[in-house]
Amino acid sequence: MHCQHFEEMLAQQPDGPLPLAAADHLDTCLRCRLLREDLQAIGIAAREWGREEPTPPPRVWAAIQIQLQAEGLIAEPSPHGRGLYLQPAANRGWFAGWLTAAPRLELAGAYLLLLLIAAGLAGYRTSLPANPLDRPSAAISAPALDGLGPALDGNMQRVVASFSEYDGSVARSLRRNLGIVDNLIAVCEKSVREHPGDPLAREYLYGAYQQKADLLAVAMDRSTLEIK
Amino acid sequence: MNIRKQFLSASAAAGALTMLLLASPAGAQTRRVEKNFKVDGKPVVILHNPSGRIHVKAWDRNEVVIVGQYTGSRLLVETEQADNRVEVVTRVAGPPSPSSPADLRADFEITVPTEAELQVRTDSGSVTVESVHGDMSFDTVAADLALQDVEGYLVIKSVGGSLVCTRCAGRLDATSISGSFQLLQPLLHHVRLQTSSGNILFDGSFLSRGIYVMRNYSGTIEVRFSNQDSFDVRATSLYGLVINQAPLVPDAHGTPAPPPGMARSLVGSVNQGLARVELSSFNGTIKISKRE
Repeated sequence: MHCQHFEEMLAQQPDGPLPLAAADHLDTCLRCRLLREDLQAIGIAAREWGREEPTPPPRVWAAIQIQLQAEGLIAEPSPHGRGLYLQPAANRGWFAGWLTAAPRLELAGAYLLLLLIAAGLAGYRTSLPANPLDRPSAAISAPALDGLGPALDGNMQRVVASFSEYDGSVARSLRRNLGIVDNLIAVCEKSVREHPGDPLAREYLYGAYQQKADLLAVAMDRSTLEIK
Repeated sequence: MNIRKQFLSASAAAGALTMLLLASPAGAQTRRVEKNFKVDGKPVVILHNPSGRIHVKAWDRNEVVIVGQYTGSRLLVETEQADNRVEVVTRVAGPPSPSSPADLRADFEITVPTEAELQVRTDSGSVTVESVHGDMSFDTVAADLALQDVEGYLVIKSVGGSLVCTRCAGRLDATSISGSFQLLQPLLHHVRLQTSSGNILFDGSFLSRGIYVMRNYSGTIEVRFSNQDSFDVRATSLYGLVINQAPLVPDAHGTPAPPPGMARSLVGSVNQGLARVELSSFNGTIKISKRE
């Protein structure tokens, strides 16, 4: 099975069990494996997030839309409301339409996932009651967000690892900067925990997540997957 | 003693020669590619080169000249022209495999018409652009950028590479994670810089109507002003310091004071406040210094 067939199959049944041929393909194709994992993570995040935070702030949707438009994955806002309109997906669900946007789907998935995380943080905070002491700092590690960070880190590590075969200096730079961004996120999270009412602290945390999304996008863009 | 010294010198020389021979296998000859493209008006030149030194300079002719040099036997330099679009792509033939940095490196000397637009994507090495007056974008991982006497809309995305922009004019948007930015004698009317751990230096005049936004998480943001400069300034460092030498007066344009919080903030105007300067840092130091 080729990648294109796999993507078409995934478009037809994104959540269904994989046929044997597709499973075999996954064993040998890192790109499709990452694609499927990203989609699963997005699905999980969307469901969990939906339970925790039904309405993300409008600016998050705007940011996602701008980013996807910049990536050339979508054209105009949907005439049907808030949903994202994807160029090639006129008669499919938006989720399925994503699949035709490969090969940069992983990239967009990473963006979306991280923006979801950031949205979770920002939105959660936005909806806090007036007295922040009423909601403990556990908001940062709300159940919806649990596990997403490590999943992303896992993907990031695998992508970066693929560089070592190709160009060590790029891999070193990416690892070093990933460390910087992760440290930044940790510091900003601490700041938000300590000062939950400070919009500036939250803004910096949001920015730090965006930087991680950008870094992940760069890493995926440069990975050997594309070189192949 | 002298004999011992001579022996050591001879040994060192022999060792160096051996290293040189080992480092220069028979197949590692330098390859050179040169291409000329006739263009018309304002061409766009697109260069994708993973690693190496890139030098772009301008001339008055309607011609793009690409000169590339590389040693890697698996490197391919592909060029394409479609009317006023010239593309140069360096690729590695075959599947990815362990390679030495030299195997992946290609150096380019590119000459373009003054008004040419540039789109450069590279991972490591360096990029130097001189006297080109077209819009340009750079997408790098670790490559350092040096832009000199350029003009246009400049967009820079870098992970760890730094930027030195000397006498740059027009508009600049630059983001990096650990790269530093230095803007020397700029003639830019719109500047937006963001880096996480890098330093930012703006040493030049703030043009009237100009908007200058600089932001980092750590490191230093330094802007140097002269007595003739006219700008509104807002500087905020959440956990760091704000050091100011500017003779600020209260902002006459109604900019609200920052909300009370833990950040160190400063708001005010120098002279009539014609330009707008926004400086913000998470825990870095912000310096507003008087130019010597």
